[in-house]
Amino acid sequence: MLETHLDFNLLSKCSNCGACYDICPMCLNADGYDPRAVIKDILEGRAERWLSSESIWQCLECHYCLEMCYQHYGFENAMTAMRLYATKKGVYPQQVKRGWDMFVKTGKLGEPNVHARKRLGLPEPKKSGKDEFLKLLALYREAKCGEHEEERT
Amino acid sequence: MKEFAVFWGCTIQARFPFLEKSVRTVLEGFGLPYRDIDGFTCCPEKSLVNNVDHGLWTLTAARNMAIVDEKGLDLVSPCTGCVSNLATVKGEIEANPAEKDAVNAMLKGVGRRFSGEAGLSHLVPFFHDKVGLHRIRNTIKKDFKGMRLAVHYGCHMMRPSHALKSDDPLEPQKFDNLLKALGAESVNHTTKLMCCGQGLDRVDQHDNALHMARMKLRELRSLGVDAMVLCCPSCFLQFDNNQFLMEKDGERFGVPVLYFTDLLGLAMGYSPDELGLALHRIDVGPFIEKWRELSSRPSPAELIDEELKKQGAFV
Repeated sequence: MLETHLDFNLLSKCSNCGACYDICPMCLNADGYDPRAVIKDILEGRAERWLSSESIWQCLECHYCLEMCYQHYGFENAMTAMRLYATKKGVYPQQVKRGWDMFVKTGKLGEPNVHARKRLGLPEPKKSGKDEFLKLLALYREAKCGEHEEERT
Repeated sequence: MKEFAVFWGCTIQARFPFLEKSVRTVLEGFGLPYRDIDGFTCCPEKSLVNNVDHGLWTLTAARNMAIVDEKGLDLVSPCTGCVSNLATVKGEIEANPAEKDAVNAMLKGVGRRFSGEAGLSHLVPFFHDKVGLHRIRNTIKKDFKGMRLAVHYGCHMMRPSHALKSDDPLEPQKFDNLLKALGAESVNHTTKLMCCGQGLDRVDQHDNALHMARMKLRELRSLGVDAMVLCCPSCFLQFDNNQFLMEKDGERFGVPVLYFTDLLGLAMGYSPDELGLALHRIDVGPFIEKWRELSSRPSPAELIDEELKKQGAFV
C-alpha cells in the first residue's frame, strides 16, 4: 500500500539528504524524532515497526521540509503515507478517531456555539452543507467499493 | 473589489466566536463586500481527514470551492488552515485534469461542479494586497507607535507556497508590513517562523504541544514584547489557551495574544469590548493600558513646539 502513495525513487534520495533537518520544528525539538530512520525502513520493507510509534504522528505538516527540498518532495509525504497505513490497520490516536467520526457524521469538526453568538450579537450561523456532504460521502463510498471489487476480480 | 464569501471554518465558530466578531467588525468598518453563504462544511482539516482518506479530503474541499465558483465569488478566510487546505486541493486537481474530471463526475451526483475560478485568500494577504496599506493608513484613527509586537505568521499562511502563492514561504513580509503600517514595531525573534505546535494536541500529545508553546512564549517574555499578533485559530488556541493552562500551573508568561483584526479594529477606534477582547484567556489589559498611556503622551514635535513658544520663537 505504501508504494501507491510514495515515490520510492525520490524517497531514496531523501534518505541520503536531510537538508530539512535544520528547519523541521520536530527534528529540532523532539527527542528521538528521526524521519530518515522511518524512510529507511519504508525502503527496506520494514515499515510496520513504525505503525504504533508516536513519531509518525509528530509531523506537524508545517510544509517546511517541502519548501526546503530540492526535489520538492519532503519527508512529510512519508509521514502522511505512514499515517494512512496506520489508520487502515486501525492504529491511531484517540483524538484522530473522535475527530474522524464527527467529520463523517456531520461534515464538520464542531458546530457553531449558538449561545455565545447571541451574547456577542453575531448573526445566525449559515446552514451547513451536512445533508449534501452525507449524500456525496455515500456516493464516494459506493464508488470506492466498486473499485475494490474490480481490483479483486 | 470583487465580492467574496467568508469561509469561517469550524474552529472559529465552535470555539472562538469572539474572533468572528472581531473579523466582522473590521470587514464592516472598511465597508468590504463580504457575504455569508449557506452550504459549507469543514474545509476539511488536512492532518485529520487526509491522513485517513485522501479521496474524501479532495472531494470535500472541491465541493466547498464549487459553491463559491457557482456564485461567482472569491473566498477569503480568517483561518490559515482552511485556506491552505482548500488551495492545496485546488492546486492538486488543477494540475491533474484526469483527477479534476473524476472529482467533477462525483460532484455531479450532488449537482455541483468545481471550476477553480474563485480566488482563495487568507485575510492577512487579502488586507495587504487587496485593501492595501494606503487605504489602511487612511482609515485608522490611532496607530501603535511605540508598541513592540511579535508577529506570528502561522505555517499555513504561506505554505505550501506552490498552492498559496501568497508570500515568501521562508521569509514572509506581508504581516510585518501590515504591522508597520499600523505604526508598531515588529520585533524580530528566533522563533518567529517556528510552527506553533498545536497539531500535537490533536494526536494525544498534549505535553509536547505545551513544550512547543513554551519555547516561543519564553523567548517573547524575555524580549518583553507588548503582545503577539497572529491570524489563525489553531495558533490562537496554542498561545492563548495553552498559555493560560501553563500559567494556571504556575509558569508565568504574560504575553497577550491578539488576532490581526483585533489590532486593526483598535486602530480604527473600536473598543476592546466591540472586538471581544475580554474573552481572550490571557489578559489583554496591560497591552491596552500601555497603548493608551503612550498615545496620550504629546508627540516630540508638540514638545519642541511648546519649548520654542516659551522662548518666543513664534511671535
